[in-house]
Amino acid sequence: MYDTRIRGELVEGGVTYSDITRDILAPIEQPAPAWWYAAMSVSLCAIAFGGWAGYMTISRGIGTWGLNNTQAWGWDIINFIWWIGIGHAGTAFSIFLLILRQKWRTSINRAAEAMTVAAVMCAGIFPLIHMGRPWMAFYVIPYPNTRGPLWVNFNSPLFWDVIAISTYLTASATFWYVGMIPDFATVRDKTNSKVKKLIYGILSFGWVGSAKGWLRFEALSMILGGLTAPLVISVHSIVSMDFATSVIPGWHTTIFPPYFVVGAIFSGFGMVLTLMIIIRNIYNYHHYVTDGHIDAIARILVFISLIMGSAYATEIFIASYSGSEYEYFTFYNNRITGDHMIGFWGMILCNAVIPQLFWFKAVRRNTALVFIISLFVNLGMWFERFTIIVTSLSKDYMPSNWTDYSPTLVEIGLYVGTLGIFTTCILLFFKNIPMIAISEVKGILKHTSIKNAKN
Amino acid sequence: MLKTDTNENIVGVFDTEEALINAIKNIKKSSFKIKNVFTPYPIHEVFHELGLTTRLPWLAFFYAVGGTILVFAFLYWTSVIDYPISIGGKPDLSPSFIIVMFVMTILFGIVLSLVTFFTVQRLYPGKVPVIIHEDIVDDKYVIVIEKSNAMTERDVVAINKLFVSNMAIEIGLKNDVEAI
Repeated sequence: MYDTRIRGELVEGGVTYSDITRDILAPIEQPAPAWWYAAMSVSLCAIAFGGWAGYMTISRGIGTWGLNNTQAWGWDIINFIWWIGIGHAGTAFSIFLLILRQKWRTSINRAAEAMTVAAVMCAGIFPLIHMGRPWMAFYVIPYPNTRGPLWVNFNSPLFWDVIAISTYLTASATFWYVGMIPDFATVRDKTNSKVKKLIYGILSFGWVGSAKGWLRFEALSMILGGLTAPLVISVHSIVSMDFATSVIPGWHTTIFPPYFVVGAIFSGFGMVLTLMIIIRNIYNYHHYVTDGHIDAIARILVFISLIMGSAYATEIFIASYSGSEYEYFTFYNNRITGDHMIGFWGMILCNAVIPQLFWFKAVRRNTALVFIISLFVNLGMWFERFTIIVTSLSKDYMPSNWTDYSPTLVEIGLYVGTLGIFTTCILLFFKNIPMIAISEVKGILKHTSIKNAKN
Repeated sequence: MLKTDTNENIVGVFDTEEALINAIKNIKKSSFKIKNVFTPYPIHEVFHELGLTTRLPWLAFFYAVGGTILVFAFLYWTSVIDYPISIGGKPDLSPSFIIVMFVMTILFGIVLSLVTFFTVQRLYPGKVPVIIHEDIVDDKYVIVIEKSNAMTERDVVAINKLFVSNMAIEIGLKNDVEAI
């Protein structure tokens, strides 16, 4: 077995195995603090607002949104892509780093995967309700039907979206759950509460930690990881093809699949960073999520930020180099300048410029600053989707079709509602699930923190 | 497959990973057979010493290949045989089927691997496990040796001595322990 020395200690503070168990189970065993109830109340209010918006949308129809013939997509698809992008982090994080055998993932993967599952659930709501008649949603499933039997169009990116996202949700949720089984067993055996013993006993599937069980568990993790890794690439490539296979200026480009995948991982890592800084500070997990972890994510972000910057520059260059006047108009008259230039410059500033601060070690070591920059990354990625969708649709080929777009209260309500669902899921995760993969951290303790291990 | 025997087992509890691996090596040299080992996290040396292997990756590969074939057959049947639709004169058998096949290959691989894992490992919600030691999920390591009917009192003493000489911190008896 080789040792990881490059990254220094991955678990600090000389903790023992039983310290790890105790520290990570503590939030589950203790009653929830007051801030937790406060945050939960705010989240539930947001969900109520979203529920009202959903009721309006479904009972009255898409007319309650600010969309029209020209502007056929708006906040619905912006938020869908924003959420699915955030939902790429868990998998990108834990799976790529699992396959690359990066041991520093172990402190972070559980939270990243939890975030993924919550974000993909939020994302799934938007395509469902933007169909207009969500009770007809089952029409997208290819089954022998009485309509012909007419099959769905297997060559349509919109159908690929359906299977890609449902597969992605299945894959990331099961990967997350399987990883939690040994930790649920830990809760089952360590808790004093009879109710918790029963619930976590059911959740742990009767896990006992036998040698063969661990061997198969590790094999299964690698299988799920190895199979889901290409899925991370394909999901957002497919989402980008919703745009790239159309003829709308600004969308009809071959750069879209890699550009979307990188953007998704960028926003996901931004959200991981936001979440890990919160967890680390609130639950005092500085030994597990060390400055080194934050530093490593910040380094990845600065690298991805450069790729994003290159992608923006490439798009702008090709818009003029291609000689297509429509492309030129979209980029130079409707993005860099024009009605929606705030979205464009917000995107450039938040995604390509501000993360460059991570080149400086002083910035990477300043947790408050890292936290703020991680929020800017998520804001910037929202601007990116806004820019792509609204600028291209609102002013396309025929000036007589041009229109403006602003969201209605119902659309804002839906977005706020999904934010509420996301934070509710995260708060439930804080309270009920071991936030750091106990058995995985124990597994790396000896190899990465030699002087810390017992003996 | 896992076997569960109702007879008694002698359980040796160890405090460190090194002591556990050392004990496994020494027990292998003796005449007794290790029935199972329990650890709080996966230890590759234990797999190596016990000679454990798994065919799960191979199964996953065949599941995925099977999924690809099945999905291609389905797409071919629906779009070429059952209800071909000419879209802009493009061929019915379209290269863009690759995308659906790619995604569904992954889905088949994942779902069937999961089913296999839970089936062979006999894990299911509501299972009442035989917990070998309350700290096995924390920081203790356990070796189990079956106390078969053929064993004499002297064998049992010898097993106890073997555990003690290998730094076991606790020795006990446990029924119904699953074998490897």
